[in-house]
Amino acid sequence: MFVARSIAADHRDLIHDVSFDFHGRRMATCSSDQSVKVWDKSENGDWHCTASWKTHSGSVWRVTWAHPEFGQVLASCSFDRTAAVWEEIVGESNDKLRGQSHWVKRTTLVDSRTSVTDVKFAPKHMGLMLATCSADGVVRIYEAPDVMNLSQWSLQHEISCKLSCSCISWNPSSSRAHSPMIAVGSDDNSPNILAKVQIYEYNENTRKYAKAEALMTVSDPVHDIAFAPNLGRSFHILAVATKDVRIFTLKPLRKELTSSGGLTKFEIHIVAQFDNHNSQVWRVSWNITGTVLASSGDDGCVRLWKANYMDNWKCTGILKGNGSPVNGSSQQGIFNASLGSANTSLQNSLNGSSASRYFFPPLDSPRAGSRWSSHAQLLPPPPLIEQSCDAGTANLQYPHPRRRCVSRPLNLLPENEGV
Amino acid sequence: MEKMARVTTALGGNALTGRTMFCHLDAPANAISVCRDAAQVVVAGRNIFKIYSIEEEQFVEKLNLRVGRKPSLNFSCADVVWHQMDENLLATAATNGVVVTWNLGKPSRNKQDQLFTEHKRTVNKVCFHPTEVYMLLSGSQDGYMKCFDLRKKDSVSTFSGQSESVRDVQFSIRDYFTFAATFENGNVQLWDIRRPDRYERMFTAHNGPVFCCDWHPEDRGWLATGGRDKMVKVWDMNTTRAKEIYCVQTIASVARVKWRPECKHHIATCSMMVDHNIYVWDVRRPFIPSAMFEEHKDVTTGIVWRHLHDPYFLLSGSKDSTLYQHIFKDASQPIDRANPEGLCYSLYGDLAFAAKESLISSDSNRKPYIGDRRHPIFFKRKLDPTEQFEYISSSSALSVFETDVESGSMDWFVHTAKQYALAGRPLAELCDHNAKVAKGLDRNQVAQTWTMLRIIYSSLGTVSSTNLNHSMGKGSTALPLMNSFNLKDIPAGLGSESRLDRSKGESRTENILMDSSSTLINNEDNEETEGSDVPADYLLGDVEADEDDLYMMDHENPHAEEQEYSLPQEAFPLRHEIVDNPSALDHLQDKADSPHVSGNEAETVSLTPVESFSLISISHSLYENRLPSDFFNPIVRDTLLFYAEQGDVQMAVSVLIVLGERIRKEIDEQTQEHWYTSYIDLLQRFQLWNISNEVIKLSTCRAINCLNQASTTLHVNCSNCKRPMSNRGWICDRCRQCASMCAVCHHVVKGLFVWCQGCSHGGHLQHIMKWLETSSHCPAGCGHLCEYT
Repeated sequence: MFVARSIAADHRDLIHDVSFDFHGRRMATCSSDQSVKVWDKSENGDWHCTASWKTHSGSVWRVTWAHPEFGQVLASCSFDRTAAVWEEIVGESNDKLRGQSHWVKRTTLVDSRTSVTDVKFAPKHMGLMLATCSADGVVRIYEAPDVMNLSQWSLQHEISCKLSCSCISWNPSSSRAHSPMIAVGSDDNSPNILAKVQIYEYNENTRKYAKAEALMTVSDPVHDIAFAPNLGRSFHILAVATKDVRIFTLKPLRKELTSSGGLTKFEIHIVAQFDNHNSQVWRVSWNITGTVLASSGDDGCVRLWKANYMDNWKCTGILKGNGSPVNGSSQQGIFNASLGSANTSLQNSLNGSSASRYFFPPLDSPRAGSRWSSHAQLLPPPPLIEQSCDAGTANLQYPHPRRRCVSRPLNLLPENEGV
Repeated sequence: MEKMARVTTALGGNALTGRTMFCHLDAPANAISVCRDAAQVVVAGRNIFKIYSIEEEQFVEKLNLRVGRKPSLNFSCADVVWHQMDENLLATAATNGVVVTWNLGKPSRNKQDQLFTEHKRTVNKVCFHPTEVYMLLSGSQDGYMKCFDLRKKDSVSTFSGQSESVRDVQFSIRDYFTFAATFENGNVQLWDIRRPDRYERMFTAHNGPVFCCDWHPEDRGWLATGGRDKMVKVWDMNTTRAKEIYCVQTIASVARVKWRPECKHHIATCSMMVDHNIYVWDVRRPFIPSAMFEEHKDVTTGIVWRHLHDPYFLLSGSKDSTLYQHIFKDASQPIDRANPEGLCYSLYGDLAFAAKESLISSDSNRKPYIGDRRHPIFFKRKLDPTEQFEYISSSSALSVFETDVESGSMDWFVHTAKQYALAGRPLAELCDHNAKVAKGLDRNQVAQTWTMLRIIYSSLGTVSSTNLNHSMGKGSTALPLMNSFNLKDIPAGLGSESRLDRSKGESRTENILMDSSSTLINNEDNEETEGSDVPADYLLGDVEADEDDLYMMDHENPHAEEQEYSLPQEAFPLRHEIVDNPSALDHLQDKADSPHVSGNEAETVSLTPVESFSLISISHSLYENRLPSDFFNPIVRDTLLFYAEQGDVQMAVSVLIVLGERIRKEIDEQTQEHWYTSYIDLLQRFQLWNISNEVIKLSTCRAINCLNQASTTLHVNCSNCKRPMSNRGWICDRCRQCASMCAVCHHVVKGLFVWCQGCSHGGHLQHIMKWLETSSHCPAGCGHLCEYT
């Protein structure tokens, strides 16, 4: 299924965020060491650090890419109470010789009085807009009226959420039927009954954002929140990372009288809730079609969730891996994927059986130069594997390790729904 | 244990107790200092000079030192210090340049003791010698430091920094004679108290003023300095050259630094402006403060640890006129709230995952052999100086989980987008083509849908009926029938539990589990066991020529080695097949000794007869009665909606385009537009510009159609006269010649025209490309070294 490629990130403190660009060819990481690094994917799939620079004077919490239509633009936000917009400068600089590109700060957004915890560009169709949220509970929406001038940002909206904010997510829907919407999560952990996820919607008439919904069922600190890419769906899917993973659907109810201009009412359902991480869930991320959700938690695992045709969400994979470089400079690494069986203790399993998937545990080869140090593969239970496979060849050719390893029929659990 | 013992003796046997508390002062504080017994604190400011006793629950004002009728500038303090050996002795630095000492043992109300009016400008700092009762040091804005003997009326020695203002002076704890002074120009000087002529050592510590310094309490010769450049630096003074060993970057200029007692690497800082919080840093982890006190509403001006040997109580005074006692357990800890992981799904299904190493490596389920092999490497790499102390690793491991081609990646999307035919051929052909494309990518549900659409909408009745006959006769191509059954059976409401959903839902990326289960069903129904290749062979022989046979293809495809995993895609058609064609049963083998039989089998058996009956009847009625294709429109609409809800907007848009007017009216304009924009956005993400353009062109929504007409302007130069072409068309109105000639073949270029932006010459794309392989000069002979991007 998955092949882990470990990258020597060489950040000097925790990495707090990873972000792919629009085309999936570039990646940005940010860290507490106050720097942001940009990684470019080469033809053969390696990731090369093409820029690394100090961005803030505090931990950088988040980094995010703007739509490439606006240029190669990043935004970062930090503990130092600022958010910044960066643009890559192409051309003349002799940095190019060293394979380094040059990023310049276009603006610093200094309105917050506390740590800025998240920054997100609005969907492209809304223009060049940026939302930030801060620990004092204020969401700020900025707009660059002239997309060619990245140093001019005007503060358009200030939404006070009453609670310390930790994450925001724009609703990506491009439909005209959906007005701009932003979901805000709070990591406030004081015992109060306020909803930790609030959804604000833009009201055309008042030209303000107003609270459309609050997910009252979420009462624990929320660490991440993500709307699924809306590919022509009529409803919205929202993933929430709190002490467990939750997936909500928000179905807009028909506006009774569009002329009233009131806020959309939503029919909100919680469609899944998983505590498999057994701990805080830190991040959630959707695949491009909004069909698979990845979550990561304090257990150090990434879990993948997918709905079947019945809208039953199930775990379809667990990725556990860390890469640590053999020698700091190169990107070659030994990968460690201890891949447990994905146990899917799920509600509503159709016929009572649970789906199981296995990943091929790494038979890590000490060969220097192999960056494909191991492969996570869909495989039968571990005992089967340990009747030795030749790791070296498995790594090199990789086509069908199971061919060698599996000598008897598999007891795959039946599952007659499409997962 | 030793340390513990020292603490208890130092604390006199009972540890400090208390809570986070504060009291309002009458005026902003400039500095605070604690008495040796940790029970009293003095607060000094421009308009305040008071002593408070620190009670369990509150601060109690003990003494107001501002006495006398006429206000004197001597009471206006820039700094205050309480002698650590004599409880009655205080010294203040007055803003008028006077250094004042106060004797609390005086019986009169005015406790003022001595007055030294030697500095010409404001005194920034006063400091008692840690072990010598009568020695006081002051540093002033005028650039001088003076040492006073409290038994004498005048200073005993004057030290000239030979540079700008002195911001801080601190006696060394380790060295009896040494003190450090910091200056506005960024320098730090070390002086020997016996040698007033010249400093022992000087180094530049910061860019801009150095506001403060603090010697490490555990006599290690460490000096911490803080400056306007927002840095806190720790210097090792033991070596001949002061060596920077740690550097903490804070978010605002650093006004005060104070080492935390009993915690070797911890240091508290507060800022001079902007930032009102007090931070406690672990200097080994210089990026995130390990604790943070956020109580003050204005700039914090003074911080002091309550007791020399107690690390949990911090006192602070502020411009907001409050005095606070902070308790460590009430501090907020940014590290705990900081997110230790990053996760992002890429376009192609790759996952980037960064996590704190301790989270990953402290896992108990880890396979032992991995751990054994990894650990030596792990530690070897991390042997840098900061790692010699036991403290939690604070680095992250970054890895990218790449999907391989077979499974989760988005390749199917790209392939489908590239290969689909959307226009330019008869409907039936388009559908057939697209069905084949989908089938080739193992997306059988999609393929079925295309086949269905052909049957419904294709006007060629013969085609569809032969096709139906064909498949029925064979019994193996039940798919179209299946779908027609489904579609008929379900009211337009599209219940989510319906079989339509079931069959559709199985499409797409992750087929494997389903596959396995379908095989099991397959196998369970057929009891006889034969060699595994037999059914495939048999069926293959039967339907060799039939391209529509989706199910067969699956048996044909897998190499023997893939048998276990790449199981047939479709469970449900098979059921019908089995019932319709009992003869086939004999030839399907049972290769599963699977225990998970019963439920599925029961289900299959119970359902099948009913379904197959209705199936046959419906399919008959379908082609005999020749229903108008409009009849199916609601169903097709629901199908498209279904695909869209499933995240497969590609299918929705493709069908929309292929069917064109037939279906367009059924779906409201806004939804269509939404689909188009979503699909185009996806295509552009995958950099499929041509296809996205084609989709835009073929779309019928006005909003979409105009997408590729907006804001595209080409400014063209005439290749002859090199002037900008002003009017549209082929002819340059200046030189009256055709502008778009190919410089290679001298014909007019229609279609793709490339040209060098330097010399305006260009031509057919192929010609120019070929030309540039051999020469870098312009083919028109103008001598320009052409550049194409």
